[in-house]
Amino acid sequence: MNTKNWNNRKMKDGFLRSLIYLATAVTISILFIIIGFILYKGIPGINFNFLTRNWDNKTTFVNVKADASKAGDGAEGYISSLGITVKEGDKNLVITKIEKNSAVHKAVNMKNESYDLKKDDTITKIGADNTEDLSYTDALKLLKDSDGTLRLKVTRPGGGIVPMFVSTIYIILLSLAIAGPIGISAAIYLNEYAKPGRILRSIRFAIQNLAGIPSIIYGLFGMLLFVQTLKMQYSILAGSLTLSILLLPTIISTTEEALKEIPRSYREGSYGLGATKLQTIAKIILPGALPGILVAVILSIGRIVGESAALIFTAGTVAQIPEGLIGGKSSAATLTTKMYWLIKETGDLSSASSIAVVLLVLIILLNIASKMITRQFLKKTGNG
Amino acid sequence: MKKNVSNQNKAGRAVEYKETLFRMIFLLSALVSVLSVIAIIVFVFAKGLRPFFGKDAYSFLSFITGLKWDPNNNVFGILYMIVGSLLATLGAIALGVPIGLLTAVFIAEIAPKKIVSVIKPGIELLAGIPSVIYGAFGLGIIVPLINKISPTGQGQSLLAVICVLTIMVLPTIISLSESSIRAVPKSYREASYGLGASKIQTIFKAVVPAARSGILTATVLGIGRAIGETMAVMMIAGNNIGGLPTSIFSKVRPLTTNIAMEMSYASGRHQDMLFATGVVLFTFIMLVNFTLIRLTKRLGNEGPLR
Repeated sequence: MNTKNWNNRKMKDGFLRSLIYLATAVTISILFIIIGFILYKGIPGINFNFLTRNWDNKTTFVNVKADASKAGDGAEGYISSLGITVKEGDKNLVITKIEKNSAVHKAVNMKNESYDLKKDDTITKIGADNTEDLSYTDALKLLKDSDGTLRLKVTRPGGGIVPMFVSTIYIILLSLAIAGPIGISAAIYLNEYAKPGRILRSIRFAIQNLAGIPSIIYGLFGMLLFVQTLKMQYSILAGSLTLSILLLPTIISTTEEALKEIPRSYREGSYGLGATKLQTIAKIILPGALPGILVAVILSIGRIVGESAALIFTAGTVAQIPEGLIGGKSSAATLTTKMYWLIKETGDLSSASSIAVVLLVLIILLNIASKMITRQFLKKTGNG
Repeated sequence: MKKNVSNQNKAGRAVEYKETLFRMIFLLSALVSVLSVIAIIVFVFAKGLRPFFGKDAYSFLSFITGLKWDPNNNVFGILYMIVGSLLATLGAIALGVPIGLLTAVFIAEIAPKKIVSVIKPGIELLAGIPSVIYGAFGLGIIVPLINKISPTGQGQSLLAVICVLTIMVLPTIISLSESSIRAVPKSYREASYGLGASKIQTIFKAVVPAARSGILTATVLGIGRAIGETMAVMMIAGNNIGGLPTSIFSKVRPLTTNIAMEMSYASGRHQDMLFATGVVLFTFIMLVNFTLIRLTKRLGNEGPLR
């Protein structure tokens, strides 16, 4: 045997093998660095308040019924007439504790709607006096001596992601409600009805093209058609309609894959029993394809959660819980668009990373869910 | 008896009616995709081509060959953006395809099952991470790193864009290459071993060449993803207002970024010009799409294209 040749080959093999290991190591370490970076930057900003509060501070005037006859003293800052404890804040009073039967639970705003005060709310105006003009002791005294209906200006601190979370869910539900039925019906047509020919070719061509269009183009289109031409303004409906088109290729092809998995014999059995095509689809094919359809839904949710370019110019970047489908008050930022906005407008990478941690958790949960469904499905059909 | 028959007919007709109705519904749903593509093309092109026609038209030639973007002075040139987009894509593919392909080889041919069951979910996660997070990562890690080595003292550069885009195309390339490598029949490997080839030789001389059309598809998909990527790139590209990139440390302003940066406040001709940028981007994407459709046809695979 030619030893030189043999050694040469061994060296080449070793070199290529180490290249393979190197490439894999690069891929894996990228994943770890990204996740590590996001966690490192984002975890410190995540706390109970971040998850439960509104984004913006919210200031409201409320009326409460103070009862001076309720006596009792406790620690400094305890206000017996209202049943709350306050402490000195930055030129205001911060509520630190609220008793169960406190009068502030029955507070009403200027429209006479119930507005329950909460811990951490700050009082910035008592009656006609701004707290910044009063010393702490004076402010306390004013509160303690008050009797009857008392008007307070209360600021609820923000810094939380609740509005973006709610908007994300709204947009997910709306987009799926639009794209789901259309996509599934389209997949049924393609797999069950369509015959090879011009129509089928053009539909497939269109779907393949839709899948390749980048989301910024969807954003341009959505802005032009829904926001401007149809006068929806920046709104969750405009955003969801844009996303629906973007989701169609995913939903159609995933559903189609699931429909293809249904054995021919099922269909033939159903026809043999006298069922019509529609009955076969409704009673045999769709139930069988349900796991696949669920996977399509989960994939779509993942895309919606991660989407930003298509939403910025259609749904806007305002952190509020949308009221209504179209018009000024229905503009809403999802978690991802808000994260983009934070980086671009404020350069605040830490808060952005905190949102990113929430996004990562959502994505991981969605991945696990789709895995579990697929596995269950494989077990059932015995294809695993 | 007669009545009974007519009743049956009636029921039959009702069933038939329903069948046709639903058939139409399914067909219409399928046609929504076609309509959407047509609508997107018509709307974007109609608005994007408007500034080049009619009175006070902007010269298309100076638009497509211009090296400066200055909306306030009615100067709209995008050649340097096209160059930026192409260079960034080229770089990302040049780095991403070898790394992705070798990783795919590892997963499909070398790694034991246990390791695969750990790596694959990781790569799926990488595919699912929103592009904004990649942007944050680029801004927080890659840009400061480049800042240290760059002669211009600027971290936001072509190099940063290439790095982030490489990472973003990796999952696509890995998962598609992996499945096409796995699809190579076992007999290829056995024949290669039978001829006395080593495992590595078999992989690179028999398996990878046999999987080349799948790998090519993965590459084209990666190109599409890289050229269309917006949010991550915007944060790290530097977005200069003119001039061709001279080195990998130069700032760039890819086409997508140009649209996304100014769309929120642009109006009139400025806005139309952003749509015109979109038209140019769209043209590139169409080229990629057509190549892709050709390739998949050759593969005989009409499966999902994501």
